[in-house]
Amino acid sequence: MLFHICQRLQHNSWIFAVNSYPPSAALLEVVHYFSLFVVVGSAVMVDLRILEIAARRRTLAQLGRQLFPSIWIALGFAVLSGFIMFGVAATEYFDDGYFRRKMLIIVAGAVLTAIVQWNAAGWSRLPAMPITAKALAIVSLSLWIGAVLAGLDVAALSGIG
Amino acid sequence: MSGALLNFASWLENTRLALAIADSSWAYPYVQLTHFVGLSLWVGTNVAVDLSLIGVGKGWQTPSEVSEALIVWNWIGFAIAVAGGLMLFAASATTYVINPAFLVKLGVLIPLAFVCHVVIQGKVHGWCQKPNLSPLAKLIGLTELVLWLAVITAAVLIPFVA
Repeated sequence: MLFHICQRLQHNSWIFAVNSYPPSAALLEVVHYFSLFVVVGSAVMVDLRILEIAARRRTLAQLGRQLFPSIWIALGFAVLSGFIMFGVAATEYFDDGYFRRKMLIIVAGAVLTAIVQWNAAGWSRLPAMPITAKALAIVSLSLWIGAVLAGLDVAALSGIG
Repeated sequence: MSGALLNFASWLENTRLALAIADSSWAYPYVQLTHFVGLSLWVGTNVAVDLSLIGVGKGWQTPSEVSEALIVWNWIGFAIAVAGGLMLFAASATTYVINPAFLVKLGVLIPLAFVCHVVIQGKVHGWCQKPNLSPLAKLIGLTELVLWLAVITAAVLIPFVA
């Protein structure tokens, strides 16, 4: 059924038109890259704060209040622009192992970031950052950097898009 | 001058490091990764300060507090982005130096955005001493945001105007 949806997406005239018209295709890439940088940069800063090697004069809750909205709004833009770019070659992406790996990593990263946000206020009240928080931060850091590498791999190794 | 630039690019492209990157089947994505991770830190932290200047998250923290919290990793991100960018450039230098989008990116947009950034970092503490941020401070924050968007646009256009 998912493959069938991908086939329909690939034949959608609007998606084809947006990806075929150079200015809109370039705009999609700009939005996708810019929002990627905001998501990864902000998430990495939150993780570095948990590990106590960045922004130590602010609590995690204070830093998070500034950065979590940016993470989620930018992720929304990244998903939207990515979906439109995905649509034009949906069946190829669907079958591609590198793309599936990228999606898995991004979902995992987003879930961990949500867990961090859920716990940020509580962790900030503790005298020291818990070991579990630091372990989560290391995994989250690896996932977001991995997401960037996975995205580069899709372009370089699959040749799609 | 363009002859000298091309000669320099040709020399750079034939250095051992540049040849190693260009000839390797695995190195190039990791060099790109270096550039992109650096850019993520650089752009991500810049955006946080610029949004704070524009008024997003007003009442949480002042732009000065945001800037102070992020300044170290902001510049670490810049250094990583430059290191990755230099390696990417070196691997295909002669292609980049004749590319109009790359020349606009590196020669015009990045210097403008960088000046904006330095002004913000230098002035933000003083701006926050006043009860309300001046329109000029908000304008400079918005300008920096737009300029970094323009830098990314120029980078995206590099393959299209080759």
